[in-house]
Amino acid sequence: MSENEIPKLADGGRTASPRFLKSPLTRFVAATFAWLPATFGLWYLLGPILLWPVRLLVQLVARAGFGDLVRTIESGGSALTFITTLKPGEGAGAGVVSVDVNMLVYAFGMPLFAALTLAAREASWWRTLALGYVVMLPFVAWGVLADFLKGIAIAASSAIASQTGFSPWQRELIAFAYQFGSLILPAVVPAVLWVLLHRAFLERLRLRGPS
Amino acid sequence: MLRFFLLFVLLLAVLFGLELTPWAQDWLVVPWTSALASISTSIVTLFDGNIEATGKVMRSTTNGFAVSIEAGCNGVEAMLVLLAAMLAFPASWKHKAVGLVIGILAVQLLNILRVISLFYLGQWNYDVFEWAHLYVWQALIMLDVLVVWLIWVRRVPRIDDARAPPGAPPALAAG
Repeated sequence: MSENEIPKLADGGRTASPRFLKSPLTRFVAATFAWLPATFGLWYLLGPILLWPVRLLVQLVARAGFGDLVRTIESGGSALTFITTLKPGEGAGAGVVSVDVNMLVYAFGMPLFAALTLAAREASWWRTLALGYVVMLPFVAWGVLADFLKGIAIAASSAIASQTGFSPWQRELIAFAYQFGSLILPAVVPAVLWVLLHRAFLERLRLRGPS
Repeated sequence: MLRFFLLFVLLLAVLFGLELTPWAQDWLVVPWTSALASISTSIVTLFDGNIEATGKVMRSTTNGFAVSIEAGCNGVEAMLVLLAAMLAFPASWKHKAVGLVIGILAVQLLNILRVISLFYLGQWNYDVFEWAHLYVWQALIMLDVLVVWLIWVRRVPRIDDARAPPGAPPALAAG
């Protein structure tokens, strides 16, 4: 066996680990997975506090845009209950329709963004976390509002939906806003935001070549 | 970076709009979702014979528990995000094609794992199932898309890199 064929274990074991573990990308992914349980746990525990601005934003938009449909919005933990002015049906007495929306469903990008940011270990990580959180808030509010509108205009019975006064094209718009706000935005916004806020990190990753 | 970002958003909006059309649903999304249920069932039957698939529904013949694979759980949106991100990035068409084939395979393999894991989590504990379904797996699938894109970006020679004069600052960091 020539010297070139000897496995490189002579430097105190520093090169003994598999090559893929030395890749900065592998280390970054491993660190992200390590952070995810902690960020998800904190996010769930602090949900009512973290999502308090979303509640304010939703209330503001609901009052300004749908004041005739929404009587009040009640909150319980991380969920919102929209008390509407709509009647459940003909001769339903004093009862009104209410719609429950779980805000967490539209906010799971927050712990993902936090884990990615903490794993990147950039110098100003706390500023990035704060900025990302603030930018994500309106997108979460979008999902919550679209969910509510879908609930009264599309998922509700025709007796309720007809009271909303939405035209067919407005219902199409609500359907699209709901689908986009639930299937695309919650997952894509944190990832895109992370990429935009870590351009220097990404460039360093890229310049170091394939893993 | 700005060009990439704008192109990505535009492509994603167009692709998602196309996905929602009845034609795309009937000819692509629904058949794919049914195929996903069949593939997941075939894999599970290797170690658990008490399962059957009907359309997009996987059902346990032991306790009747069933999961229906709906939009958001069929991996189609994740594939669209990856497609938009690779198409928007300045790379050769050959690299984009190879990246897409491997990337979509990676996304769907993890998605099959999601479907199977949710099927068993639901039979074990419904609260855990809801948590995994609504939050954790959604984030993991997006993380998968991001990692696949990062690996691809590291491996492809960028078109504007080849055009740039020696010593020019990298375009990704320049914004």
